[in-house]
Amino acid sequence: MSSPDPAIRCDAVSRRYGERLALDRVTLRVDDGERVLLTGGNGAGKTTLLRMLATVLRPHGGALHVAGHPLPREARRVRPLVGYLGHEPLVYPGLTAGENLELYAALQAVPADRAGAALELVGLDRRRGDLASDLSRGMRQRLALARAVLHRPRILLLDEPTTGLDDDGRERLRGLLAAHDGTAVISTHEPEWFHTLGVRRVALAEGRIA
Amino acid sequence: MVIGSRRARPDGATVAATATAVLMALALAMIFFYVPTDVDQGYSQRIFYFHVPIAMTTYTLFAWSAVNAARYLWRRDPSLDLKSYVPMHLGVIFGSLTLATGSLWAKISWGHWWFWGDTQLTTFLIIFLFNCAYFMLRFSVEPGERRATYSAVYALLGVGLIPLSVLGVRFAQRNELIHPITFNSNGANMDGSMFLTFLVALAAMLSLAVTMYLVELRGKRIDDRIRAIRRLAEARA
Amino acid sequence: MRAYRALLRKDLLLEWRGRELVPAMLAFVLGAMVLVRFGLGGETLAGGTRAATGLLWVIVVFTSMLALVRSFAQEREHGIWDGLLSTPADRSAIWAARATATFLFLAVTQAVALPLFWLFFLQEGRSPSLGVLVAALLLADLGVAMLGSLLAGLATHVRAREVLLPVMFLPFMLPLVTVAVRLTVDTISPQTSGLHTSQGLGFLALYDTIFGLLGWALFEYVVED
Repeated sequence: MSSPDPAIRCDAVSRRYGERLALDRVTLRVDDGERVLLTGGNGAGKTTLLRMLATVLRPHGGALHVAGHPLPREARRVRPLVGYLGHEPLVYPGLTAGENLELYAALQAVPADRAGAALELVGLDRRRGDLASDLSRGMRQRLALARAVLHRPRILLLDEPTTGLDDDGRERLRGLLAAHDGTAVISTHEPEWFHTLGVRRVALAEGRIA
Repeated sequence: MVIGSRRARPDGATVAATATAVLMALALAMIFFYVPTDVDQGYSQRIFYFHVPIAMTTYTLFAWSAVNAARYLWRRDPSLDLKSYVPMHLGVIFGSLTLATGSLWAKISWGHWWFWGDTQLTTFLIIFLFNCAYFMLRFSVEPGERRATYSAVYALLGVGLIPLSVLGVRFAQRNELIHPITFNSNGANMDGSMFLTFLVALAAMLSLAVTMYLVELRGKRIDDRIRAIRRLAEARA
Repeated sequence: MRAYRALLRKDLLLEWRGRELVPAMLAFVLGAMVLVRFGLGGETLAGGTRAATGLLWVIVVFTSMLALVRSFAQEREHGIWDGLLSTPADRSAIWAARATATFLFLAVTQAVALPLFWLFFLQEGRSPSLGVLVAALLLADLGVAMLGSLLAGLATHVRAREVLLPVMFLPFMLPLVTVAVRLTVDTISPQTSGLHTSQGLGFLALYDTIFGLLGWALFEYVVED
């Protein structure tokens, strides 16, 4: 399935929060299957860009296309294609690991048994019945990762995925990324860690491509 | 065609202001010197020519606000947010005037400043509370797209609330209906000269609202432009 | 539909495990009734069962506020909105699930509150028709839940949310309570207004329809940023 459209195309994309400009005319092209590392200090706009690509934030200026679909107009078609890992784990603390993933399987309209497979992938299969609130920080991050890849998305959007992960968790993340043949956009403060994965680095500073 | 402007073409606000001045003078003259005194209610009935046009203008302003709110959600054009906010704001002024003139009239004809059995007065009170909530919501959100969206959604809820209030209050208080009925299914419940005066007064109020709308809109736009320039200057510094 | 069921199940499961809302609403409704009883009544409530029935509706509205203020509290406190919104599930399913959960919480609370209400206020005098009262309560709960879930979404990202939500919500309660009170009080003979039961219930159903449609159509704009 090769399409002429790049996985992601940003043309002079801007976004404000209230009156503050968080992204200032960012232009970026990510080809299908390419891995991009977003680097930059706090407040550089990495999270804003990822959230826009994940269709939870609409652009205020410029044109944004994911898999050839313009955002926000065709966000509905983009959503099944992207897997988003955010700052927060995006799970309910009062539900078990398994229940959280089953809920997301229903929201993603994929079979409920994907939950088990995703938990196995991140090494959480034995904690399936534990409440998310009882999991440690690193375990919750693994659950968040399982949630992001649950529907086997073509495009991974990972916001600082290594946060809180122990060595085993990091190896699983590396394995997961190595096995993923689709596109990935990853924001991170430790770009060296991703060296072996063949990535292109894009630096952001104060809402612009540096 | 040059009316009060040095340029060749006058702008909308100037035309509207001129029309308002003419219509308002005409309406006042008709209300106090032309229209005959009401047989039942006497001289004080003349307040009707203020009260009812003001109330109708208020409804019109809310309707216009809601129309622009819907257009904003559709097109996301910030100028439509202003065009929804400004009539809502003017609606408060005209709504307060409606309550004040209604209360005055109630005092004169029924002897009380407020009469709960009166459906119109109660309905206006609900609308007034709705308005207060709109402004509290608006001023609790940072300026920007989110504030515009929230304001638009709440303004559109008013489209449900206002008819339901009219209907509900009327339903519940049917047996106590004492508000003078101005219009019924047979049309206007007035004779010719009264109806004419009423129409002129209504036109005067509507044109006053249009003038205020255009002026306030222009003021808000200037505010926005100044803010944008200041932002630019700060960014340079 | 699957998304709606999963979200509703989630809301009920969280309430069942956390027992955050329904016990608080029950305690509140009981406290409010006692307060009304002593504050206005003395030995018997001045105004009798008519006044009591009217007050019941006021208590119902204030109790429902507790449920609304906590709507989407989990999503907000744990930043889960991004997770829900990044899925292709319909936004109106999120609204509908929340409204259904709120409706059920209100109905459960009232199932306990209504017998207490009878015990406190109605033993001495003529009671309003129970069938009409229950039908009116359920219709009103539905409207409150549908409108309230939309407003709760609106208040999510707003400063002073807990204060603003009641301010936004109360004007919408006025027509509802006006009709509901008339409707239920009128079933106590002798009738005091010309309002027919079917008209009153019809009005409540119309209210539900209007705010159901508005909530369904507008929720998307409220949660998407």
